[in-house]
Amino acid sequence: MILDLHAHTDASDDSRASLEGYLKWLQKKRDVVPVDGIVLTEHRQWNPDVDYRSLEDRYEIVILRGAEVETDYGHILLYGVTDAMARRFDFADVHLDAQQVVSEVEAMGGIAAPCHPGRPTIGLCEHYEVKGALEGVRAVEALNGGSRRGENERVEDLMQRHGYKGFGGSDAHLVSLIGICATEFDAEIHDVDDLVRELRDGSYRAVDFREQVRAARA
Amino acid sequence: MPDSLPEIDRSLLGREFERSVSQPITAAQIIRYARACGETDPRYVEEGPDLIATRTFPITLRREKYVPEGIPRDLMYRGMDAGKDVELGAAVRVGDVLTAVGTLHDVYDKTGRTGKLRFLVLRMVVVNQRDEMVAIVDQKMMFR
Amino acid sequence: MSIESPGSGVAKRSFELGDELPSLRLTLAQGEIADFVHAANQAAPRFISDEGARADGLPGQIAPGNMSLAIFSRLLDGIAGAEVRRLSATFRAFVQPRIPLVASGVVTDVENGDGGTLLHCDILLETETGDRLVTGTATLFLPNDT
Repeated sequence: MILDLHAHTDASDDSRASLEGYLKWLQKKRDVVPVDGIVLTEHRQWNPDVDYRSLEDRYEIVILRGAEVETDYGHILLYGVTDAMARRFDFADVHLDAQQVVSEVEAMGGIAAPCHPGRPTIGLCEHYEVKGALEGVRAVEALNGGSRRGENERVEDLMQRHGYKGFGGSDAHLVSLIGICATEFDAEIHDVDDLVRELRDGSYRAVDFREQVRAARA
Repeated sequence: MPDSLPEIDRSLLGREFERSVSQPITAAQIIRYARACGETDPRYVEEGPDLIATRTFPITLRREKYVPEGIPRDLMYRGMDAGKDVELGAAVRVGDVLTAVGTLHDVYDKTGRTGKLRFLVLRMVVVNQRDEMVAIVDQKMMFR
Repeated sequence: MSIESPGSGVAKRSFELGDELPSLRLTLAQGEIADFVHAANQAAPRFISDEGARADGLPGQIAPGNMSLAIFSRLLDGIAGAEVRRLSATFRAFVQPRIPLVASGVVTDVENGDGGTLLHCDILLETETGDRLVTGTATLFLPNDT
């Protein structure tokens, strides 16, 4: 099963994509971007009141939610977000303590996974060079669809050195970029509990559809 | 945030800080801008009754103020244009008198590849002399 | 600005999700950026010369965001008879002179109404090597009778 674990809708300040836009695109482009589901990871926010079940049914695409928060070790994706987590951490704060986020999100039943680790300033690699490693990180975003040349390549070494698992996400902010990088899981994932369980202990790998998207557009 | 980024008074949000009224738009202005955009379409570059401005022309209006009072001007010189959202209405023609009204629409912080950033969203609403909406421009200015 | 492969001005009347707009290839000259900013009331030193840009701590002369919007506007003119209703862009990286660029777009949704069709498009300005400099969206109205 393939999920795009990192996508932003227009609920995020810098995205111009609607959720339904993503779903229509994926439904039409399944031959090029064979993604079964997406995880919305809006920047610096958590809205407890949204329900996407009718859209899931209409488009037959799994829709899960997480968040992307900003910390002293760069940006971190949170999966299995609960209202308790959103009360414990001010998601709008751009100075969250990464160690607290990783440890406490895990203890509260979720998983915190640094994204685009190879980017300057907002990626884990640069912070590890000067501040040492965080404790309790299980997985990082090994493949990010919005990264520039050389940024994804830095992550391989990080994963080997610290034994991290790697997943992929498009980091889409535009409809036509959804699913260009994603994660293939060996297990089926139907809800966020499945996702957290598999990210913690399951078997998965980053998958890259960028070349086939380019070829299809050429 | 770094000390070099002053706090922004949030009471400024939504308050009109400028109202600029243009001189009547001339054919020379329209054609010069169109040519600078590389246009060769006669609609945009040939003087006459059918001449209209290219769609992005209203974004370039000369204005009296670009930021509200209370935001240091030198801050604006350090800023970068991070993005724009533009809604376009009536086409601009020769003789139009355009009024641009500016408000501070939003202020927020985030972190990016170059470090900690503050964003100001400046909204400019442009109407013509018939009170038709010509453009609504949300400009995101980014400061380090 | 001079465009090496201008869009063909497609007169197509029926669009569907995934349709590509005719792409543009262009390389901005230093003088073209300077001409643009003078015409656009935006003549800051960073847009005029390398020296002016370096004084602002930039690597060299850059094109203003409004020039990228103007490029997108040219790209959207590739659909004959369409009127741009909305244009949005995120400036992700500097657009600089002398670097070959490609502007491209793809239809992401189509809404048919009584008077015509709304086309929603994603639009990109990239280097020839695929670095995304500006990303955006546009909404075009295509009247029935054109």
